[in-house]
Amino acid sequence: MKNRRVKNKLLPYIFVSPYILHFLLFVAFPVLFSIILTFHKWNIISPMEFTGLNNYVRLFKDTIFLKSISNTLIFLVIHIPLQIIVALFIAEILNQNIKFKGFYRSAFFLPVIVSGVVVTMLWQQLYGFDSGLLNRLLTSVGLPKIGWLIDPAMAMPSIAIMATWKNVGLYIILFLVGLQTVPRHYYEAAELEGANHWQKFFKITLPMINPTIFMVVILSTIGGFSLFIEPYIMTGGGPLNSTISAVLYIYKQGFFYYHMGYATTLGLFFAMLILLVVVTQKKFLEKGE
Amino acid sequence: MIIISKILFKVFIPVLLIITTFGCTKNSKSETDLLYWSSNLPEEILFAKYITTEWNENKKTYHIKFQPVPEGQSSEEVILAAVVGKTTPDIYSNMWQGDVEVYGLAGVLIPFDTLEGFWDFINERCDSTTIAEVTSSDGHIYQIPWKINPIMMIYNQNIIKELNLKEVPRTYSEFTSAAKQFQKDSDGDGYVDRWFGYSEVLVTWWQRFFDFYPLYLAASGGAPLIENNKAVFNNEYAVGVFKFLKNLYDNNYFSRERLSTKQDIFLSGVVATRFTGPWEIAHSEKFKPAGFEYGFQNMPVPDNYTGPVYTYCDPKNIVVFNTCINPQLAFNFIKFALSKKNDLKFLELTNQLPRRKGIDENPFYKEYFENNLKMKIFAEQAKYVKGTDINPKLKEVFDLISQEYEACVIYGVKTPEDAVRDAAEAVDLLFLD
Amino acid sequence: MKKLLFYFCLTISALIFLYPFLWMISASLAPESEIGNLFALPSSFSLHSYLSMFNKIPIGRAFVNSMIVASSITFGVLLTGSIVGYALSRLQFKGRDLIFYIIIFTMTLPFQITLIPQYIIMVKFGWVDTYLALIAPYMINALSIIMFRQYFKTIPQDLIDAARIDGCGDFRIVFRILWPNSIPAIVTIGIITFMASWNEVLWPLIVIRDESLMTMPQLVTLFAVGGRAESQLGVKLAAAVMLALPIIIVYLFFQKYFIQSMTSTGIKD
Repeated sequence: MKNRRVKNKLLPYIFVSPYILHFLLFVAFPVLFSIILTFHKWNIISPMEFTGLNNYVRLFKDTIFLKSISNTLIFLVIHIPLQIIVALFIAEILNQNIKFKGFYRSAFFLPVIVSGVVVTMLWQQLYGFDSGLLNRLLTSVGLPKIGWLIDPAMAMPSIAIMATWKNVGLYIILFLVGLQTVPRHYYEAAELEGANHWQKFFKITLPMINPTIFMVVILSTIGGFSLFIEPYIMTGGGPLNSTISAVLYIYKQGFFYYHMGYATTLGLFFAMLILLVVVTQKKFLEKGE
Repeated sequence: MIIISKILFKVFIPVLLIITTFGCTKNSKSETDLLYWSSNLPEEILFAKYITTEWNENKKTYHIKFQPVPEGQSSEEVILAAVVGKTTPDIYSNMWQGDVEVYGLAGVLIPFDTLEGFWDFINERCDSTTIAEVTSSDGHIYQIPWKINPIMMIYNQNIIKELNLKEVPRTYSEFTSAAKQFQKDSDGDGYVDRWFGYSEVLVTWWQRFFDFYPLYLAASGGAPLIENNKAVFNNEYAVGVFKFLKNLYDNNYFSRERLSTKQDIFLSGVVATRFTGPWEIAHSEKFKPAGFEYGFQNMPVPDNYTGPVYTYCDPKNIVVFNTCINPQLAFNFIKFALSKKNDLKFLELTNQLPRRKGIDENPFYKEYFENNLKMKIFAEQAKYVKGTDINPKLKEVFDLISQEYEACVIYGVKTPEDAVRDAAEAVDLLFLD
Repeated sequence: MKKLLFYFCLTISALIFLYPFLWMISASLAPESEIGNLFALPSSFSLHSYLSMFNKIPIGRAFVNSMIVASSITFGVLLTGSIVGYALSRLQFKGRDLIFYIIIFTMTLPFQITLIPQYIIMVKFGWVDTYLALIAPYMINALSIIMFRQYFKTIPQDLIDAARIDGCGDFRIVFRILWPNSIPAIVTIGIITFMASWNEVLWPLIVIRDESLMTMPQLVTLFAVGGRAESQLGVKLAAAVMLALPIIIVYLFFQKYFIQSMTSTGIKD
């Protein structure tokens, strides 16, 4: 009996032990270790060398890293509004009494499930300047070609457009779910008062789906901060570092040049920045509700 | 659900077992063997197999076990992972010369100069400039010069004829005027779609091996980029190269678009020239359309340049890791693998050049070069080549140059003078910490 | 009239989402020289690009690797997620809330912070270039624990009490009682975990260098950026099609579950 009770006391800990182990090994230790690493210079093959605050000083002088952060912000500023507008627009239409809803939904959702690698390889071809599909379409209707990936001012927006194409299907569905929670009689009441379509949208729909917008903003932000494979395949970070993302730069520092200490410093700093942005967004958006 | 838990135990556990066995079967070699890694190019594997078999059959003293370097993203990364994980082979034959210094100074390589018979061997194989080129800053020699692939200009013979050029452009002005003449909009959509040349527009550091660096060596007669941890490339040659290339991009004689993500632009006639190595011969023979003719020429030089035209040779060398229990034996094997006879075998099997002095004039190789006239051009070029400067931060140096190269040459947001000066200053900063 | 406009808008947008994929498939089957000018269908179809791609890269092997890795992770996550989720929702013990908050906290922790130290752990364990490096760090997932915890909470305690009276131990309760009653949660967690690990590419790029151990997205990425395609565009597109195909096939059969799972968690990849 006593044995049984000891066992019962221990059992929950056995049950949570996989998590504890994982946490210690892959979360707690790495975080602590990374803090130590930021004060060192280390290329893995030679011994670690203590360098004090050097890595931090270098970070604030590193124009490419600062550029990578502003690139990420440019990406978000284009990507988030675009995503919300397109998703809302299509979701609004899908929310009407439409046939083949399932087909359309599946079509929009297809890019979401396909690997970003495929999407990027594909869009690299679509974005080609000389013989890319998009530019061929533009010239065929008499418009000038666009330097999608070769114009430094255009490259990041191009990646943001592609990312929107890839993810928007998910947000269409999210908005659709949100729209369906808006009670019909709200609209009917508004119609009786003579509200037009836009008024209904801004006065009823938008406030009602605010939580969904909130979620979309947070999810897109986190996604935008982890941008990596798109510039890695498409542009290598160019032209003129206009598409280098923070993760790509950290990857280069860490695994091209084996500046482990410096790359860790960048990672730590960037992670703090992400937390800061997301927390601010939360505060700001919750206030808006 | 019972099914699922059954699957869990029937599938998951075996999978785990498989994983653990895979994880453990990585390095199997007996104590008496020496492990030799070659690169994983099919032709080089053939060669490595050939010499190890020859060796093992004729010399019974000890055994060489051969294996191509585990295929990966790049062989450099694989080697680094092996060094970190202490799973290095004894002998590795595909080390980029610019990488050796890092490993040498980190103490993971055997200095050959401490081994018996080294100096006789190296003096017979290489001239003094090559020996100086591979001598580490600490005075030791950690590598044996093995093979090179000099960078030259490949050109489309038919286009040269079409343009009525008397000869293939040799100087910056000849190149530029030919480029001007060739540029065209073949489908009439208002945009240029034929360029005289193309160089990779990516900023990745080693891309500069195929434009800036060989052009710099050509213009300067083989001058270094760095000396004693200081940038020495802030000179007229580097500025001249930047000017020359910048002008090509400014006028759209070279494309800013990453054409390399499309079909082969040289063989499809979209560009008339490229800067490339002897591997292009095999590639062109394999993929060229009917009637396609091409040739090779030195890198373009400044108009007033006289003398032999240098270029970068992309040297790959042989090293022995300190995990090797008997370096002398490893060295003896290397000597055998690099013998006169085996160098010929290497040429025949791989169409890459052994880094051996006077190879183009040596009667022993005459027959091969008579049968491979295009290779002969590279063999003649091999007299005037440079590898890399000795420096542990070479990648970063090339990366910094490449950043400025992109800003100035490709996008024209900086003058050549400013760009070269800024790159040199950034390199000097690199050596401060 | 308005309806017609709606259908027009929808059809155009659907085309925007589908056409690129169709173009890719068509281009991968076209002769190399036609890809540059291709709008719809090539003059003739050939499997040449596929055959030469199969010769250049071990894509079959990579498919097997991806299957091994993604299914091991999925099984692992379901197993550990439900056990830990059970303890957190149904067992009383000291420190339970603390662990719960730690889990919530780790969910907000950006991966950028642990990327390099985790790589160093892999190096020190000698796991670089083994399946373990790909699988072990992902065997437990905070989100799945939370989802199992939430779902188990909705299952009536009576069911568990009855099983206990019948003499069931806790493991049996999890797998015999709770699992059959949590199919939606299992499907959701299963799909998102499988998708995420199938599409993961940054981590494999870091810990795997040996080509025979590479996962599909990694191999195709390196093929796309590297020189092995020998400047042939068709073979690259063929590789991209091969990478997209398995998940598209699964998606065609289970699209309802895919859409439900991913929208309920908001997870992409």
